[in-house]
Amino acid sequence: MDKKVQLSGKFKMIMYIMIALGVISVIAGFYTENETRAWANLLLNNYYFLSVAMGALFWMALQAVTQSGWSAAYLRIPQAMSNYLIVSFVLFAFMFFGLHDLYHWSHADAVAADPLLQHKEPYLNIPFFALRYILFFGLWIFLTFRIKKLSLNEDKLGGLTFFNKIEFNSKVFIFVFAFSFSLFSIDWLMSLDAHWYSTIYVVKKFIMAFFHGVTVIAAIAIILRKMGYLPMLSKEHIANFSRYIFALSIIWAYMWLSQYLLIWYANIPEETIYYVPREMGEYKTMFYTELLVNWAFPFLFLMWNRVAKNENLVLFAVLVLAVGQWVELYMSIMPSLDLKNAISFVEVGTFIGFAGLFGLVTGLSLSKMPLIAKNHPYLIESLAEEH
Amino acid sequence: MKTSILGIYEDEDVLMHAIDKLQASNIKVADVYSPFPLHGIWSRLKLNTKLPYATFIYGAVGAVVIFIMLYWMSVVSYPLKFGGKPLNTLSFIIIMFVGTIFIGTLFTFLTYLFREKMYPGKQVVLPDPRSVEDKFVIVIANADEMNEQESKHVMKMLKETGATEIKESTVNLHV
Repeated sequence: MDKKVQLSGKFKMIMYIMIALGVISVIAGFYTENETRAWANLLLNNYYFLSVAMGALFWMALQAVTQSGWSAAYLRIPQAMSNYLIVSFVLFAFMFFGLHDLYHWSHADAVAADPLLQHKEPYLNIPFFALRYILFFGLWIFLTFRIKKLSLNEDKLGGLTFFNKIEFNSKVFIFVFAFSFSLFSIDWLMSLDAHWYSTIYVVKKFIMAFFHGVTVIAAIAIILRKMGYLPMLSKEHIANFSRYIFALSIIWAYMWLSQYLLIWYANIPEETIYYVPREMGEYKTMFYTELLVNWAFPFLFLMWNRVAKNENLVLFAVLVLAVGQWVELYMSIMPSLDLKNAISFVEVGTFIGFAGLFGLVTGLSLSKMPLIAKNHPYLIESLAEEH
Repeated sequence: MKTSILGIYEDEDVLMHAIDKLQASNIKVADVYSPFPLHGIWSRLKLNTKLPYATFIYGAVGAVVIFIMLYWMSVVSYPLKFGGKPLNTLSFIIIMFVGTIFIGTLFTFLTYLFREKMYPGKQVVLPDPRSVEDKFVIVIANADEMNEQESKHVMKMLKETGATEIKESTVNLHV
């Protein structure tokens, strides 16, 4: 039970090579493409992996609040991802150098000439923006590390006190998450179009984070099982993960449609303009790809019970959905900045680099603590075959 | 006339363990009657159904039919332009979605009734009427094909696994 993950030298080597590839791609991006595109690409990948980690941590908090039994053996995977938040904090700090390239509202002369931006100025200004960024990351890191520490203490001492404390902290985290992650998405993504707003935008981003956070947890659990670490990962557990992915893909599509349909029927030009470059222009293929990959594919694929219980096929679904999340963020960011729809090695390389960094950070922090929370009161229920 | 042996149990957990023990000693449990759905009974009795496949086909047909209907109505028969938006649009999805659910559910329901030979007003066939109140009933089929020794063995096993009452039934249960 006290087994820890041993990272092989080969794994670390691959991750370092991926990170090196990412660094080269980022630098190449600044030389070969225009700066806005290079910054947008960085923002995409930064937000991508932050939302994966946050979604996974939200899943962890949800398990504590609902007192779920089946998932008790897998709580260390999202807990390990909390370390990525610190890395993400640092990476987002670099984004401040690209603020003027990305955000129209950060130019004082643009604000002076634009009554709408003046109206939003008390909220959308650089000092307050930076303050929010520090505050949100501070809260997330503080709360998730607290939960992780409580869980590690539970390993040593046992008893129900830690279980109850984790539940309380998870409740706080869910409240903080709902509020701060929404504002964070408004700050970093929606304000790319400072004139446009949609009230469901942040809900969609929150569901996206939850959706893809769960897929990554499922993928890591399956990979760890293949390496021989989680022998208890039964077909029932895989089916439970699949159900999460299946249900969340439908909720995601629901949010997607809620935003699209309301804007469609409201027929207000200021709102409809958001969809003009996306649906009618050069982004047309990506527009439909986003829906097909994130909704139609998991819906039709994981519908079959046999697929939903097969670890290799679920792993395949997770890989496809990883592309799906990238496409969604690509569709959120690139058309807003009037960039061309052209995916080159820079985009692919940067993504590989970030994936390597995420994998390395998660792997290292998983290897530093016992893989299973052995004193979790629901562990026996989780290990039982039927629940 | 077909006879079957019924074992009547008081408790859900006792029943579950009883099924395992009976199956371990090569006694085939034909069916279980219970007042509420039991978790895990599906895999224990190795039940199987093709109904979800039928639902999928109905749903897929429903989606296509509704799409053809909408396409014909708003593109072919009576095209109306609103705000310069295209005629063939994603706004069809809501009605396609609802129609898919409706057609899928309705035809699944009808298929189920047809397959189970059920109709409104049909008399319920129950081995023991108390299985809709607070008793759990295990049905061992084909008791008339067993010899004396075999049926004794079955009854003994039922008794050992915690049945509070054991009896023979001649109700035709389609098992």
